[in-house]
Amino acid sequence: MHRQNRRIRGIGALAVSVGLLLAACGTQGPAASDGASASPEGSAPVDSPNAPAEAVEVEWFVGLGTGENEEQIATEEEVVAAFNEAHDDIELVLTIVDNTEAATTLATRIAAGDAPDIIGPVGIRGLQSFGDQLLDLTPYIESSGVDLSGIEQSLIDAFNVEGAQIGLPTGVYPSFIYYNKTLFDEAGLAYPPHEVGEQYEGQDWTWETVRELAMQLTVDAGGNDATSADFDPENIQQYGLDAQFTENDARAWSTIFGGSGSAVADDGTTAEWPDNWREGLQYFYDGIWVDHFIPNGTAVQALADGNTFQSGLIAMDVVHQWYTCCIYPAEGDPTVSDWDIAVLPTGADGEVTSKLHADTIGIMSSTEHPDEAFTAMTELAANADLVQLWGAMPAIESQRDAFFGAIAPWSGLGAPELEIDWNVSVQMLEFPDVPSHEGFMPNFQEADSANKDLGNRLWNTADLDLDAELDAHVELLQGIFDEGG
Amino acid sequence: MALTPGSGTAPAAAVLPPARRGRAFLSRESLSGLIFISPWIVGFVAFAALPMIASLVLSLTNFDPRRPDEIGFIGFDNYAQMLRDPILLESLWVTVRFALLVVPLSLAAALGVAMLVNSTLLAGRNVFRTLFYMPMQIPIVASTVVWIGVLHASSGWLNYGLEAIGLPGPNWLQSPTWVGPALAIMGLWGIGNMMLIFLAGLQSVPTELYDAAKVDGAGPWTSFRHVTLPMITPVLFYNLIIALIATFQYFTQAYVISNGRGDPDRATLFFNLNLYREAFEFFNMGYASALAWLLFVIVLGLTFVLFRTAGSWVHEGGSR
Repeated sequence: MHRQNRRIRGIGALAVSVGLLLAACGTQGPAASDGASASPEGSAPVDSPNAPAEAVEVEWFVGLGTGENEEQIATEEEVVAAFNEAHDDIELVLTIVDNTEAATTLATRIAAGDAPDIIGPVGIRGLQSFGDQLLDLTPYIESSGVDLSGIEQSLIDAFNVEGAQIGLPTGVYPSFIYYNKTLFDEAGLAYPPHEVGEQYEGQDWTWETVRELAMQLTVDAGGNDATSADFDPENIQQYGLDAQFTENDARAWSTIFGGSGSAVADDGTTAEWPDNWREGLQYFYDGIWVDHFIPNGTAVQALADGNTFQSGLIAMDVVHQWYTCCIYPAEGDPTVSDWDIAVLPTGADGEVTSKLHADTIGIMSSTEHPDEAFTAMTELAANADLVQLWGAMPAIESQRDAFFGAIAPWSGLGAPELEIDWNVSVQMLEFPDVPSHEGFMPNFQEADSANKDLGNRLWNTADLDLDAELDAHVELLQGIFDEGG
Repeated sequence: MALTPGSGTAPAAAVLPPARRGRAFLSRESLSGLIFISPWIVGFVAFAALPMIASLVLSLTNFDPRRPDEIGFIGFDNYAQMLRDPILLESLWVTVRFALLVVPLSLAAALGVAMLVNSTLLAGRNVFRTLFYMPMQIPIVASTVVWIGVLHASSGWLNYGLEAIGLPGPNWLQSPTWVGPALAIMGLWGIGNMMLIFLAGLQSVPTELYDAAKVDGAGPWTSFRHVTLPMITPVLFYNLIIALIATFQYFTQAYVISNGRGDPDRATLFFNLNLYREAFEFFNMGYASALAWLLFVIVLGLTFVLFRTAGSWVHEGGSR
């Protein structure tokens, strides 16, 4: 009896131990059955209650680009539910991952042989990490007869990598100048041009014209502008120009101010920093440290923690279409309640260049259900509600009027009615940077990081010999390229 | 003569039948103990031992999680690459420099606070002990976010305070020069554990020693120097080891303040942050595994050196 009790106690102890272990290692509940696929809010995946048992499951992985913000999830869930209602043979499952974790999560899942079927929206930069893992859609496009005539060929080509069509464009985000009309009015200056080719106060609209204008709009604590001999650069209150939210990427700043280019030569292995990029970066650097009309890294942090245009103390700001996400006209002091957009000027190369961001949705080459995934992907890519939700100008031209008619994320936030000239955005789409400033480099992640280190240094360090810095940077890039090769 | 069970000599097991041998080896108490610690054993094997072995194997490969099919054995190439990696040297120097600053500072601060809350002259000692320990309960990410606000160049309380006494506040988090001291200040927020261990050490010093010192005419400083400090050297040694290891594993605060990039100008690119970037940003999992083993060897080496020197300065049982 005594021995039996001991045995029972022993078995009990074992059961408790196993229970504790399972509790410690187990899942949180049915909603989090896949840790890698749980959304930050723990809401994914979303299944259709009516999906038949034999339906093929296709997983859509969101988080590499936009689409993972809390306010976007409900609409995405509705789209998925509607898709599942309409397709008895496919069960689309939505997985949302926080943007900061998405690339790592996806890589881990690929390594574990558990890759999702569809990924996106994802931009050109994001694709550099996973582009070679995507399915060539060409045969599926041809066999399905999907109509791509409503999309500019240049946008389709943006996702054609070495002959493989790895995605279809969903949304595009040209860049242009957001300008604060209140600051122009206070300075008694005319607004910048809204048409490509239009002059500004009798001068050609070039970056040199922008420099002069921006200096007049840069004001110190004493009320002197940057053209004045009494201007105090140590106490600047308002800046004429910025190019915010570039992640300090030197390629982005070089493209904005210098035009299209690439850090890798045509042979695909040699590092370079083309002359027009050097000029562009010099313009940017002098704008910060010599003419003082662009805020440096420290000043940017002080201006609405990096959302500089929102501070109300930036007169002009080069940002993409997606920036409408982040203007809150009723917030801050001063507020940015009256603004519009203007075209980018002509660069030193004689060209207008609007660096372009573009999103796609792609299919992982490891998918076991490419046909079903293609069906789901094409419907998602063409869904106007989703593209509107993501703040992107639709890649499908016929959807653009409706997009611009409805775009006003600031409405209801106490902002006055604004008449934004969205024709500027459409015009800028005709001048994309080719090759893309987010495009291919060997050993991409490390090279990209090095470019951002360079941008960070330029942003925070005065009195640099930029040519010497760039020579050293090219050498560094070459080492990174070689290491990747 | 056959040896009998219970003689305590090893050959005894040889003459026992196998079943009894097992029972003798694993008594019921031992078995129960093993069962109760089995979750830990399984957890250790699954989440520590196996990953360590896996990382050792991975360190000899070119593993990229995005391309698992392309994994290949590359021998010691990852270790050889360390010799050519300037970023690794930078990250090591950032870590060593920070350790030289923050380890003595946090030890001194924790000891000072422990002495303060151990003092009979302090009213409400328990309240202060709790208050000084409380920051330990706040998640590091949350406290770091708060500190980012406190250290903000233009709107941070610290610079407001400095300006109030006529000192220009530095750009704590954007300046490569000041970001190290900023992290050290931030680190003082988390000395609660160390303080508690020092407090236990201080309370274990026999009061007779202070009485004797007083009789010999020792003042507070002499008493601290010749009684307190020697008597708490074991605790000091423990805290030193823990602080050093923690510094070499420093990651979260640097990650949060620099968005995982080691900015400004790689001044916060600590060894562990560099390792993280290699693994999860650049996906060089093989090289990152090699870095992890380098970190292990460095910390092991430092700990070994400290233990070797301990005999000359750590008092144990009243003697050196």
